Amino acid sequence: MIGYVLQRVLSVLTTFFVVSIIIFLMMHSIPGGPFDGGDMPVPDAVREKLNAQYGLDQPLYVQYARYMWGVVRLDFGVPFQSPGETVLELLGRAWVPSLVLGGLGMLVGVPLGMLLGMAAALRRNSWIDYLASAVATLGLTVPVFVTSMLLILVFSVWLGWLPSSGWGEPQRWILPIIAYATIPMATYARYMRSAMLDTLNKPFVTVLRAKGLSERRILFQHVLRNSAIPLVTVFLPMFIGTATGSIFVEAMFRVPGLGNYFVSSIRTRDYPLEMALILMITVMFCIAYLISDILYAWLNPRIRHGGRRK
Amino acid sequence: MGRPDRIAPGDVPALELRGLGKTFHLRSGGVLRRRSTALHAVRDVDLVLPRNGILGLVGESGSGKSTTGMMALRLLEPTAGRILLEGTDITTLGSAALKPWRQKMQVVFQDSYSALDPMFTLQQVVAEPLRIHGIGTPDERAERALAWLERVGLHRGYGSRYAHELSGGQRQRVAIARALILGPSVLIADEPTSALDVSVKAQIINLLQDLQQDMGLSILFISHDLSVVRSLCDRVAVMFAGRIVEAAETEGIFGAARHPYTRSLLDAIPQLDPRNRRRRQFRSREDLAADIPVLSRAELAGDVAPSDTPRLVPVAPGHLVEARVTADPDTRSGA
Amino acid sequence: MSTDPMTGPAAAPEMLSRPGRRQRGPLWFAWRRFLANRAAVAGGVVLALIALLAVVAPLITPAGPNDQDFLSEALAFPSGAHWFGVDDLGRDFFTRIVHGARVSLTIGFAAAAFSVIIGIPLGAAAGYFGGRTDWIIMRVIEIFSVVPPLLAAMLLGALTGGGFWMIVAIAALFGWVQVCLLVRAQIKAFKEKEFVRAAQALGGGPSYVIRVHLIPNSISPIIIGFVLAIPMAMMLEASLSFLGVGVPPPTPSWGQMINTGLDFMYFYWHLAVFPTIALAVTVLATSLFGDGLRDALDPTMKAQ
Repeated sequence: MIGYVLQRVLSVLTTFFVVSIIIFLMMHSIPGGPFDGGDMPVPDAVREKLNAQYGLDQPLYVQYARYMWGVVRLDFGVPFQSPGETVLELLGRAWVPSLVLGGLGMLVGVPLGMLLGMAAALRRNSWIDYLASAVATLGLTVPVFVTSMLLILVFSVWLGWLPSSGWGEPQRWILPIIAYATIPMATYARYMRSAMLDTLNKPFVTVLRAKGLSERRILFQHVLRNSAIPLVTVFLPMFIGTATGSIFVEAMFRVPGLGNYFVSSIRTRDYPLEMALILMITVMFCIAYLISDILYAWLNPRIRHGGRRK
Repeated sequence: MGRPDRIAPGDVPALELRGLGKTFHLRSGGVLRRRSTALHAVRDVDLVLPRNGILGLVGESGSGKSTTGMMALRLLEPTAGRILLEGTDITTLGSAALKPWRQKMQVVFQDSYSALDPMFTLQQVVAEPLRIHGIGTPDERAERALAWLERVGLHRGYGSRYAHELSGGQRQRVAIARALILGPSVLIADEPTSALDVSVKAQIINLLQDLQQDMGLSILFISHDLSVVRSLCDRVAVMFAGRIVEAAETEGIFGAARHPYTRSLLDAIPQLDPRNRRRRQFRSREDLAADIPVLSRAELAGDVAPSDTPRLVPVAPGHLVEARVTADPDTRSGA
Repeated sequence: MSTDPMTGPAAAPEMLSRPGRRQRGPLWFAWRRFLANRAAVAGGVVLALIALLAVVAPLITPAGPNDQDFLSEALAFPSGAHWFGVDDLGRDFFTRIVHGARVSLTIGFAAAAFSVIIGIPLGAAAGYFGGRTDWIIMRVIEIFSVVPPLLAAMLLGALTGGGFWMIVAIAALFGWVQVCLLVRAQIKAFKEKEFVRAAQALGGGPSYVIRVHLIPNSISPIIIGFVLAIPMAMMLEASLSFLGVGVPPPTPSWGQMINTGLDFMYFYWHLAVFPTIALAVTVLATSLFGDGLRDALDPTMKAQ
């Protein structure tokens, strides 16, 4: 098990460095720097001075090495779009709304989705089963900004119950949280249903029934525990989906969170902020990947010794 | 019912395996403690398949008999030994140099269902060898394939059918047609009948027997079904734990088996008449592996130097047994 | 036992009889399974209708998609003359929406086609050769699976400035992974089959075996990979266009229209409602159709 964890950590670290190099190269290989300015032409001399000031005139590997050395000390530089603060300070301000809204969204969505999936599996082909399928399909296929738009149109434009832009007072949080919750809810409704159906059809459940165990005990003592593994593995795609969705949710509801800054950094070629955000996201996903792999191995003794998934 | 007339002595054998071996390296353990264990699936196998003869290769599953067949076909690379097809060493030929030799040696597998591509019509299946070797125009290939379907006892109307529409026996006929359409001299039949019903089994055996006579085929018949082997083969080699432990004319094996493993195999054949029922003994693998016959030089049919390491020695003309050889007739045990 | 070598030995009379009634093939059963799935059939019908609309778009719309013919009526609400109203730049909105279907579907299908073109050879190589080839391809895929496609696509879109073919390329860049994994798994399962060994014993080389046996037998996963790549590409295009790094204006794109609609929704609801519904319905229909095809073609892959 320790060997397995070490192996995974190593593999994740490698992936992280490969990704950081690729992103770094990608951002610097595209013609056009931040000071080439389309809207505001900058004199050549000034541009050179600015490029030198930000180290943009050095060879790429020097820039990369210097950058990564800074990253190790949590120094991500100064964002081009607001030079009055460091990238770290900006991020420190921006993660609060993202974490609060995204966290609440998952907190609402995951248990709701699990309940829906369980109910659907236990009452196959009933209205609740169809509802679960509908929620799952809508949530997983329709882009989150479309869902958000529908929510805004219904609850704020048409009914006028809730404000359409988020942050500030708590009633502004409600719509973004619902929008956030759709992805975890859909994911868990779908996988909980299929995992439970899978387990319910296993021969050992038939044996338990034949032994005369009550349905309640079969469900809570055996079926739920055996349905847990797929739910762990699905956490990762769910988390990634929700995190990516935050960009759109925040753009739709005008929340001043990480997602919003991601969009603006991309639009303005704000290298320091962009790199920092992407590295942060990569680290986050790598950790999520690692946790999900380790949890999976820990829950599944067959994996624990040798072998790895897929 | 031996058919010694068919074996022309002095000829170059159709297929000869010399000292063939296969060792798999199994890796286990994690990053920190990686271990490698060698598994000898096949060790030092010598086999001679005479022209126009049928040689049975029997043994339990896992004894290495199928591995031997796959190596003879060069579908699996041997780790030791040589393969001689009509006297030519094909062991190390590259795929291009090997291709013409592949026309001379073909194979029929046990599982007729997975042996036929489900996306092919039967006519395409049978014509495939011609296609791979670039023989004839597409129309000629199709015609020859249909003719071969008839030759193995299927109406040509089956040519446009797919494998899943056929019964197991019919599929095996198609597989035989595919194997023989190039007119090979050697056929390796890897348990071709063990997945079939008894009545169908007899039909396929008859078909193989007749085609063998018509075409002058040499067949390496790999099987664990001793009753089939007895009715079909001229010679039989018995494999146990990757080695050949006994080889003789069919009657020599069934009438005068010398190796304990051969005897335990023969004991396992069900008896139809309860009065013939012997006291069976089921012996464990370890027990059998430890029980290596010890023979004195006097008992052997040739002049063999005494040796403490077990090897194949002649006990009668054409009858080989794996044994230790002692110089002194008094110290022998076993039989 | 003597036999006539021409008619074939051991030809029991019943063996030479004509084959009986044709049996149903696996594809027939897959088709039946698909038809039994009402949601999938509905999705397929809707998708076909949308595709039809997209094809005949110039015939059924009153103006070109970029013609600002109705500037005097800009932002007009839906009416008999303008079914979906007029947009902020004086263009007939129904025309824009229908032409948006063209853009969305073309990108979806083109990206799916490229995904398949990249995914099949890589998946086949990884599955057939295994070992080092497989290791390298799987490490590449691992990198792709750590980087969320939408984020990376946004970055690429922003860096390259978007554009129609760039979006197709980006979608294919992330779509091939799924196809590759599906094909790899299928080929791994089939390469040990005896018909493959038989072809090898006949002297068929790797390229022959892969081309003639393994890829035709992977047709189900290839179709599955193809239909599942379509909605993903459509979603990607809409998302990038929504953020302004996708298909550049004035090309009609639903994602772009939704972004515009966001600014007008309190006063001119139609600018927000129609593209949102068009996108939702199209993506949903395509996904339902794709899921249905997957379940029908490969019942063991069912993931409901």
